Amino acid sequence: MGSGTGTFHETYAQDMAVFRSGLQWGIAVAFLVLLFTSPFFCSDRMLTILTMMGIAVISVHGLNILTGYCGQISIGHAGFMAVGGYTSAILAARLGVPFWVALPCGALAAGTAGLIFGLPSLKIKGFYLIMATIAAQFIIIWTILQLRSITGGPDGLSVPPPRIGNIALTSKANYFYLVMAAACVATILAKNIVRTRAGRAFIAIRDNDLAAEVMGVSLWNYKLQAFFIGCVYAGVAGSLLVHYFSFASTDMFPFMDSVWYLGMLIVGGMGSTTGAVLGAVALRLLDELVTMVGPILSAAVAPQAAASLGLIMHGLVIIIFLIFEPRGLAHRWEMIKTYFRLWPFSHQE
Amino acid sequence: MDRIKLAMVFIIAVALSAVAVPAAHAKTLYIGGTQSLTGPFAEDSAAVLAGFEDYAKYVNDNHILTPWGKQKFPSDIKLQVMWRDDELKPAKALSIYEELKAKGMLVARISGSPIALALKDRMWADHMGATSMASGSYLLKPPQSIFTYYPIYTDSLAAIADWFKANWKEKRKPRVAYLTADNAMGRSIEIPKMKAYLLKDGYEFVGTQYVPLVPTSPPTTQLTWLKQKGVDLALGVMINPGSQPTVREMVRLGMGPFQPYKMTFGVALPGHAAVLAAAMGKLGDGYVCAGSFRPLDDLSTPGIKFCNDLQEKYRPNHRITHIMYEAGILEAMIQTDALRLAMQKTPVDKLTRRDVLENGFYRIKNLDTGDISSTPLTYGKGHIQGVDKIRVDQVQNGKVVKVGLYPLRRIY
Repeated sequence: MGSGTGTFHETYAQDMAVFRSGLQWGIAVAFLVLLFTSPFFCSDRMLTILTMMGIAVISVHGLNILTGYCGQISIGHAGFMAVGGYTSAILAARLGVPFWVALPCGALAAGTAGLIFGLPSLKIKGFYLIMATIAAQFIIIWTILQLRSITGGPDGLSVPPPRIGNIALTSKANYFYLVMAAACVATILAKNIVRTRAGRAFIAIRDNDLAAEVMGVSLWNYKLQAFFIGCVYAGVAGSLLVHYFSFASTDMFPFMDSVWYLGMLIVGGMGSTTGAVLGAVALRLLDELVTMVGPILSAAVAPQAAASLGLIMHGLVIIIFLIFEPRGLAHRWEMIKTYFRLWPFSHQE
Repeated sequence: MDRIKLAMVFIIAVALSAVAVPAAHAKTLYIGGTQSLTGPFAEDSAAVLAGFEDYAKYVNDNHILTPWGKQKFPSDIKLQVMWRDDELKPAKALSIYEELKAKGMLVARISGSPIALALKDRMWADHMGATSMASGSYLLKPPQSIFTYYPIYTDSLAAIADWFKANWKEKRKPRVAYLTADNAMGRSIEIPKMKAYLLKDGYEFVGTQYVPLVPTSPPTTQLTWLKQKGVDLALGVMINPGSQPTVREMVRLGMGPFQPYKMTFGVALPGHAAVLAAAMGKLGDGYVCAGSFRPLDDLSTPGIKFCNDLQEKYRPNHRITHIMYEAGILEAMIQTDALRLAMQKTPVDKLTRRDVLENGFYRIKNLDTGDISSTPLTYGKGHIQGVDKIRVDQVQNGKVVKVGLYPLRRIY
């Protein structure tokens, strides 16, 4: 299969494999080893950043399935995360349900909410669907605030940390492992979902829903499936988020986060599992860069100079990507791989 | 391909700079913490930050805490302000908190209610003492290591209710409603004990109306609802970008204590009367604010004169006119005093967060703030509200007038 002169696929299975060469396997294993040994050489702060990246990656995978693959644009993703997070938090805090049961329950609750708010997608699309999903975000947050006796309303809800037996996952390293394991599983599942019959149906709907329906793809079935799967991912991310903070609050799921998740997808590259990962990581890194630059800028100019720097930078990056690289970082990554695949005889511009 | 190489170098540089944690100087102590320089509290936070920076310079130059006090700060220890912009996002505040903690910060600060709610338990677990710009009733619920320097919002509104009731002339019960910001801060007053206090105080409770934290249109619907329900007193928690358009619309609708329809609008601290009066002049007449600070031009007050002197010395050409500059001075003073007190028990090299919390914050007693806060500040285990009285101000003839001083009710 692999040779010094290129990689040739001789069977359908080889052609469909996620990792197609020994080198790809090696890189993946090396990355995982590096990732899972990082608690030994990373500070608590870095682990916190990586954990947040992991949660964002899970959430963006869900949005990628829904928007990137199926073409159903959602700007209510943080709301669906809130459903998952709060369900999990209420089960764990009020009913004493173990985290390992509360997490899937949260995911299912978010998926169910996705099914409900996905129903309009059968009749509307484009801008109108965007408006419907924005409404979902606000309805969900409003409902949580009203159910004060259950959710704690604006005061939020304290959540016990996850446990394995008698061990509470309270340390940064423990929780990092949990989130990264979940992120890896979510990535593998996302990669595989799009290779299934449903995944191909999603892509067909995204590319031309009328043509897909004529071909026998049930829009009703597959659009709702996309909403369900996408929101299950959001539910898992929301649940992991509230358990990490040991606290659930509606302020952890603001509307702007829904917008930034979509931004992560744009920067990473819609319709690409790699893109979802790259986008989440890139915008989180940008966040940290802005946080570091803020005090320097402020000291050099004035305290107000750092105001809204994060919003400006995020907006700028998204605009730049939309203009110069609409296919996102995933496309750039493919170009880099192509360059090294042909190196040292690659084409020079 | 050059662009790809450049991008790779950039990514690696960013990653490395995030990993690198520079070592702290042996005799440098940090004050400060997270700020919300992005979002609705940006203006307040920028003023607070300026206060922190000026106060640190003052202590480094003079080795004392205040011009009027006797507390000395060790001359061989340098105070340095360390801060990051959390954009009022809990997730970002958490990573910043971890970063500052790793860099050796022994004190922290809270920039808003969402951050306080998200970090409260974690700070307690870390024995981290923090000052807080947010002041919701949730802070009074254990565990407690977050300290305020102005009253919690519910207590502030109770003080306004007490003042209003004391001036009520009619025989019928006054009708009260909430007109509050639609966020965690604004909604934090909607607790059963607050309503019970109002009912016990002799009010008839009508209901609640919400105004966006920063309204995108005048709150006409909310105000006409209050008018239709015959509300006499509207209470809430708002920042000035929310309360100014609300008051402007009230005047347009003929509502207010000096308008045809008599209704008083009272808010807790973030709706500073001094800021509103400066911006709106006589248009803001009748507006009531409890728990706030004195105006920055009240130079007869030692604390305000101190603020003025600091600005003259350290930022003569970039003076801060926002009242939250005083909050920055107060917060920096509290954090510095906590560090100073902790150093009396433990050498600076061995100082831990727990030392600063238990031998620092808990031992702050009657900290004289030069009347910037409504009373001297006292903290202790289970005692996180530094003040014990609440100042109530009203805008009259475009000026801030103190109309009363009321005790804390501890409503949470």
